Amino acid sequence: MSQPPETPIKYIESAIRLPYHHVAGDYRARYLRALRDKKILGSRCAATGKVFVPPIMSAPHSFAPADEFVELADRGVVTTYCVVNIPVIGREVELPYVAASVALDGADISIFAMLQECKAEEARMGMRVEAVWKPDGERTGDHTDILYFRPTGEPDAPRASFINRL
Amino acid sequence: MSNLRNVAVVGFAQAPIVTRDLHRTSQDMLYPQVRRALDECGVSRDDIDYQVAGSSDYIDGRPFGFVMALDVMGSWPPRQDLHVEMDAAFAAYYAWLRMQAGDCDTAIVCGYGKSSEGDLDRVLNLQLDPFYFGAIGLDPVATSALQASAFMEHSKKSDHDFAAIAARNRAAGVRNPDALLREVADPEVLSESEWVTGPLRRGYMSPYGETAVCLVLAAEGKAEAMCDRPAWIHGLDQRIEMQNIGARNLATSAGAQLATQKALAMAGLTAVKDCDFVELSATNPAEEMILCQAMDIDPEEERPVINPSGGPMCGNPIMMTGLIRLGEVFRQLSGRAGDHAVAGAQRGLAHAASGHCLQQNLVFVCGSERRWT
Repeated sequence: MSQPPETPIKYIESAIRLPYHHVAGDYRARYLRALRDKKILGSRCAATGKVFVPPIMSAPHSFAPADEFVELADRGVVTTYCVVNIPVIGREVELPYVAASVALDGADISIFAMLQECKAEEARMGMRVEAVWKPDGERTGDHTDILYFRPTGEPDAPRASFINRL
Repeated sequence: MSNLRNVAVVGFAQAPIVTRDLHRTSQDMLYPQVRRALDECGVSRDDIDYQVAGSSDYIDGRPFGFVMALDVMGSWPPRQDLHVEMDAAFAAYYAWLRMQAGDCDTAIVCGYGKSSEGDLDRVLNLQLDPFYFGAIGLDPVATSALQASAFMEHSKKSDHDFAAIAARNRAAGVRNPDALLREVADPEVLSESEWVTGPLRRGYMSPYGETAVCLVLAAEGKAEAMCDRPAWIHGLDQRIEMQNIGARNLATSAGAQLATQKALAMAGLTAVKDCDFVELSATNPAEEMILCQAMDIDPEEERPVINPSGGPMCGNPIMMTGLIRLGEVFRQLSGRAGDHAVAGAQRGLAHAASGHCLQQNLVFVCGSERRWT
């Protein structure tokens, strides 16, 4: 009775399964719905005029409301990037690919985007890029409605135009 | 006792408790309350020295979930911040400690959490150890029922007593616009409601809910300019008991008793009846009676009034239920309690709990005058 078991119990099964149903919230819901119509929404800070994407209720820096919705271009500028040599789970992509921060025209903060149709050695800060959308009828109001971004071939944006929008 | 700093609750904002908010994330729910609380105090975010919050990552459904709230608490320029994975009342306790240390004069205390987005009973099961209590599937409903049963045996209280207490809380909740349940309930009807886990019936349980709250604390010298009638903290104490439920006498609450005695002593009082009202984190009638016994409150007496807001039995927003008790004390003492005001209230007690079966207890005793000169 007082002896420990000769064969130690190596583990006990303690699987935890917790389901969650997160509410997107009206700000994010409007953003997601708009993607279906090939539109990207942001929200503007009432104090500083800065535009956030995806839209948020309040501006983290100024603490002011950011409740004015604005439509942004589906193109912008690469503000920083990295070259990825490991595959994306569940997705066919050519390796290496470029993962970039993209400041959309009209936005003051950048979003994260995968670049395709772009050789890694050609990627650079200031490069102009545009969204490639899923075809009409296939968009569901989800982040994957934008397949990827690709270079537009326009002249590079000057550094001063994006250095504060990293 | 040597003099401590006089610290007061000077602002409190709470959204009405709802079962599920389909339009807002917990951050979206919190932001307007932080703004309201600061506006009420007539100060800007930069006037606040310290920020602290209570919430649960398991309720948020993501690790480090609490950092999401920083974006709506005005965390720029970089702030001094603390987070506790406990009811936000415990966050208020830590803010008070920082003020006693003298390194801040003002603080916001936030509580949030959307309990409807997950399975709360399963989440709270994880508070228990994974080898035994957790593994056999105990949740707060089961442990509350075990406690209620032990209390009935100990006290000879009956199902009818439970119904009367639930009905009294429900009647009070009618006058509180922030309560989740706002209909009068007949004790006879409550005592015929279905069993959830005997001896607890549906009508005795606190309905889970969600909201967001922000309370503002300020030390003497700052508090006066932020509020016309601050609720000064006269005494407080926090006690925790062991985790092993089987090792505790569930019919009593030694932790609540000791915390109350210590808080009263700090306040220079000898009995809770010196308070005009108490706001207790009692989530069912048995808990309320256990707490009354631990605090030596006679429910038959006129004072203290028990849970004039309707208490958790009219809405139990997990992680905020305790902080709301302190907010309710502020409302009463500062003349902001509206229809549920206790006439002439000068002193009140707020109680917060965390863990199963009142494992952790925190007591604040507040008054409308400064404690120390």
